[in-house]
Amino acid sequence: MTEAFLSIRDVHKSFGSARAVTGVTLDIHENEFFALLGASGSGKTTLLRMLAGFETPDSGDVRLEGVSILDQPPNQRPVNLMFQSYALFPHMTVAQNVAYGLQMDRLPKAQIKARVHEILQVIQLDHLDRRKPDQLSGGQRQRVALARALVKRPKVLLLDEPLGALDKKLRSEMQLELKRLQAEFGITFVVVTHDQEEALVMADRIAIMKDGGLLQVGTPHEIYEHPATRFAADFIGVMNFLPVTGAGTGFVAADGSPITAGHGLTQSGRAVAAIRPERLQIGSAGENRLTGRISAIAYHGLDLQLHVTTTLSDTDLIIRMTADVADTQAPAIGQPITISWSAKDTHIFPI
Amino acid sequence: MVERNTFRLMLLILGVIFAFLYIPISVLVGLSFNEGGLPTAWTGFSFKWYGALLDSDDILMAAGNTLLVALVSTLVSTLLGTLLAVGVEIRRRNGKWLETLIFAPMIIPDIVLAIALLSFFSLLSVKMGLHTIIVSHVVFNLAFVCAVVRARLKSFDWSIVEASADLGASTLTTLRRVVIPVLMPAIIAGALLAFTLSVDEFIIAFFTAGAGRSSITLPMQIYAMIRFGVTPEINALATIVMSISVVALALSQRLNKGGLPGQ
Repeated sequence: MTEAFLSIRDVHKSFGSARAVTGVTLDIHENEFFALLGASGSGKTTLLRMLAGFETPDSGDVRLEGVSILDQPPNQRPVNLMFQSYALFPHMTVAQNVAYGLQMDRLPKAQIKARVHEILQVIQLDHLDRRKPDQLSGGQRQRVALARALVKRPKVLLLDEPLGALDKKLRSEMQLELKRLQAEFGITFVVVTHDQEEALVMADRIAIMKDGGLLQVGTPHEIYEHPATRFAADFIGVMNFLPVTGAGTGFVAADGSPITAGHGLTQSGRAVAAIRPERLQIGSAGENRLTGRISAIAYHGLDLQLHVTTTLSDTDLIIRMTADVADTQAPAIGQPITISWSAKDTHIFPI
Repeated sequence: MVERNTFRLMLLILGVIFAFLYIPISVLVGLSFNEGGLPTAWTGFSFKWYGALLDSDDILMAAGNTLLVALVSTLVSTLLGTLLAVGVEIRRRNGKWLETLIFAPMIIPDIVLAIALLSFFSLLSVKMGLHTIIVSHVVFNLAFVCAVVRARLKSFDWSIVEASADLGASTLTTLRRVVIPVLMPAIIAGALLAFTLSVDEFIIAFFTAGAGRSSITLPMQIYAMIRFGVTPEINALATIVMSISVVALALSQRLNKGGLPGQ
């Protein structure tokens, strides 16, 4: 097998006694939109900064197209970083900010002008090219930062929480915008984010990081539907957990009711069953069922989330109910409810 | 209406304080325009004492010396002070100690610094003159420029330095095209402050000027003249020195608050 486009090989990094990245091995493909997803302190930003060249790994290697780039300082790597704070030069105009990287490449003036103009058109800011950063809105600054990094046509574009400072509506617009730009420019994107929804929407593949290591790497669908660990199951989306005991695919819940799982567990004993809210249904159609009482109703517009208290778990289960279902059979707090789900949607994790 | 009375009392105190600060200066400025030249009677407005300054070769030479000392020491201390501030900020290690060492010349009494510099130059058998005044002024100006620039660096966003490197700039290019332009208001403010301090500095200049009359500065010239009583020329000269200081200081304050000119 030929080596991957961007190859991270057993990279370690500590700051004093704090171990930031502990042995990460990861292959990122050409033209891939890759997300490093993790909570703060998971090591994702340190990993990104090592790709950019601002941190040097204690051990391990980072190879781009088969060549180690560790000996290249940041200003010589064919990689650009879009900073979380945007890091725009406050004394330069939008056009000067974007032109800066091209001037460093010593391109002819006419060519710089043309490329700056072109990219500003792509991000729809060419009418603001003479503004200074402090005369722009947050969303505009974000796009200038993106243009500045993108205009150099790097082999890999690194994005550190690119949408972190934007409000929710703008963020979901920009998620699709980033995907569109990535496809248009055909550049490999590596984005760091703590927002699992953002990662699911944008990325071709996601790596979940925890405590400096990788927990799971996969497509958004794989990660969401087949979480490899209980942490991954909990971290991505909403998940219901039920303590169970048993082995193979047959388990019993706390009250003795049988729970059948889709995937087996080799080790017998105490475990936890995990089911997504949208896989739970009202009624007794599925293999696994339980009864409870509605304790709270959260209205989300698009859907309702019912919180159901049961004897099987200390925490309430969450069930998703679409708006049209809620219209015909309006739920009420305190109402008894029977829930069921199928075995194939039941994930089992050892405790 | 107790509060109202308290407020009035505070205004009164403020007025007294300002009067205390500025009446002597106003008297000085007023007398410099007094035709008769006597502090006891106003006989009419005139620029004649300013004209008299121009006729005095001693004063013109002192003014030239002062300007030379101020310009050169400002230039050198601005350059070194800025680099020092940036360097100390980058290398945070032992920062506290470095900071204390750098700012010491601001706190050490001028007279002590003056004696120290005099002893130092004597020890090295340096022939004293304008050049030793310049070096001595650089010593304390360096601390002031560094302090002003460092204050600005406290709110400096270092990610723009990384961004510059990421976009392909060398360290030197980053310094020239990003760090210095962003710090420019503070650098100019520091330079103006240094210029002001140098123009009216007396003690250190007096100690390090050497014996000859050729390296006398304006404050030293005023001191020499005042031994024969306060003449109207001195009032005029003091008014000029003060004006230069006030203008430079006001500019410095303005720049340090606002952004780049024209921004």
